[in-house]
Amino acid sequence: MADSPATESSVAAGPHALRWRPFHLTAALRRRILRALIVVVIFVAFVGGLTAAFGISILQYTLYGFRTSAIVIVAAIGLTLIYGIRGFANFAYGDLMTLGAYVALFVNVNAQLSIIWGAITSFFVLVLVGIVLEILIFSRLEGRGPVAPIVASVGVGLIIQNGIYVVAEAQPRLFSVSLGQEVQIVPGLGISWLRDGVILGVGLGFMLVIHTLLTYTNLGKAMRATADNLELAKATGIDTKRVTYATWALSCGFASIAGVLLGIISDVQPLRGVTSLLLIFAAVIVGGIGSAYGAMLGGLVVGLSQEMVVPLLVWLGRPDVLGIPHADAYNVAVPFLILILVLLFRPSGIAGRQAAIVPRGVLAGAIAKARAARRTRLAAIDAGRKSG
Amino acid sequence: MAIDTGILTNVALFASFSIVYAVLAIGFNLQWGYTGLFNAGIAGFFLIGAYTAAIITTPPDPPTVLGGVVIVPGHWGGLSWPFVVGASFAMIFSGLAAALIAIPTLRLRADYLAIATLAFAEIIRRVTINFDTFTGGTNGITRIPRLITYEPPDPFAGGMVLLGVGALVLLAVFLLLHFTLESPWGRVLRAIREDEVATMALGKNTLLSKIQAFALGGAIMGLAGALFIETKSYLDPQDFAPALATFPIWVMVIVGGAANNRGVIIGAFLIYGMEYVSVLLKDYVASNAIYYVRLMIIGALLIILIIYRPQGLLPERRRVLK
Repeated sequence: MADSPATESSVAAGPHALRWRPFHLTAALRRRILRALIVVVIFVAFVGGLTAAFGISILQYTLYGFRTSAIVIVAAIGLTLIYGIRGFANFAYGDLMTLGAYVALFVNVNAQLSIIWGAITSFFVLVLVGIVLEILIFSRLEGRGPVAPIVASVGVGLIIQNGIYVVAEAQPRLFSVSLGQEVQIVPGLGISWLRDGVILGVGLGFMLVIHTLLTYTNLGKAMRATADNLELAKATGIDTKRVTYATWALSCGFASIAGVLLGIISDVQPLRGVTSLLLIFAAVIVGGIGSAYGAMLGGLVVGLSQEMVVPLLVWLGRPDVLGIPHADAYNVAVPFLILILVLLFRPSGIAGRQAAIVPRGVLAGAIAKARAARRTRLAAIDAGRKSG
Repeated sequence: MAIDTGILTNVALFASFSIVYAVLAIGFNLQWGYTGLFNAGIAGFFLIGAYTAAIITTPPDPPTVLGGVVIVPGHWGGLSWPFVVGASFAMIFSGLAAALIAIPTLRLRADYLAIATLAFAEIIRRVTINFDTFTGGTNGITRIPRLITYEPPDPFAGGMVLLGVGALVLLAVFLLLHFTLESPWGRVLRAIREDEVATMALGKNTLLSKIQAFALGGAIMGLAGALFIETKSYLDPQDFAPALATFPIWVMVIVGGAANNRGVIIGAFLIYGMEYVSVLLKDYVASNAIYYVRLMIIGALLIILIIYRPQGLLPERRRVLK
């Protein structure tokens, strides 16, 4: 941890002095806050400009964007943690989310308990499922490269998804939970305080939890160390087996919460999780695999862009513009485009450090060559000026 | 005639579908088994091939309008060109799509390629469902002409023609790959799978070879799509869901043996045979649970095979200097 030496004397430095100083403003932190503020100001100006130009409905889509982002972030954190530690893309993650939603649905509807109990039960059931998956399947595929566990995870996903079809039937079902009516703040901007507030609050809460865990606890530090370098972590005496189990537990727990949240904003059905799997993968890769903070940033980028592009697509779909049928259904392609752009120009993601590239490709190679050529040309011109 | 043509027609139909999936699996085997490029978007290239062939070979199908409202969207094309042209274009378009998706992703690790191809296939499928003035949307494409039209319709002769053409295509693809994979080009592909950096150090352009292998695999999948529409007689975008056209293909290749096309063909017949049995059983089981149970078995097979027998029934022939 890059903590600069404390400038002010800390409170009562006993043997068990509290070393937790989250609000200590180091220079690096101050710079980071400044940068974040600039991004926020630009974003607010952007949304404000759009709203001024196209009407209040832009704000509604922004709200949807934040709501989607909150869910995607919870899911992406869970996915990226296990991706970082075990080194493979868990294709069963969408189905694990669906499973979480169905467990909560069972508690909520069949056992007639509150949705909160449903979410808690589903969290712990999924924690167990995650540990069992690691013991039964994925620990046997260690050291077999990234493809073998992907194939196995697809198998797990198929079993969960079709098992749900067999047990719970295909028709969509709703949580029995009253979330209040949408309130019109101004015409065109409706908000359901309870539903949207709960989703944004849970999203923020889980971000804080994971931040605290990764920064201030031994388990979190061990997780980061294991993700960074497995052999080194083992050599330092970290029980990487236990860390792996803990990560599976956390990852699947986050999946269940994301699934329940998805069920709250729409409905619960066997394909609920799979349909947002690509969105979550996009968030993970945009943010940088293995980085929880990257997942937060990636989730925000992906969620906001997917919802805020809808008005543009609707406009494109009008018969006098392009006349594409069902144009707004293509908003799912936007995260994919962002994903491809990130893969082309910064494959390790915004916050990632792991090398994603094996050898250098055509396009990136050509760009690097062109830049190098330009640099030498500029240097030559410079040298010419100096000598001349 | 003395022989019961009904049963023979059914057997021919089963074999034709198996051949379609075998061609698909051979395409995937070229990408994954031989070159080590894991494609999670098989369904996407299959779809491009099937729709290209369908749009080229079908008669015109204008939208049905009733009182100013479009009831049936119809679809583009309607050129009524022969099957050979449709199949060629199917190969060209699928191969081009594979090359395009390959360029940004093939230099990345295998898991990135899997995610990107999965996303590609899903988006292609959604575009197909939503862009209904072009593809027919959820109505699909109907009235696909048979290879040889019999008047009056003769299902037995039709099935036999289909089987014959399918067998010829399968044989052609098998032989083509048999010879190309024994050539120096094929050796480069296997070398890339084993150690890409070492292959580069030997002066081979590995990226170009990977793009070629991926595009050729995509083109073969497009050819499978063209065969598929002849077998199916109508097109339904739901046939191209990953659970129906990507994951079973993985099982076929893993069961048969990666990097062994003979094994892959056996795998395709076995796995499609399981599907066929489940279709037959449907008449005896009340609910459609059998359909889901079949996919659960596919999932379990994926897990068990990848853990306990990743080399498949017929493992790759070892090529060692004696």
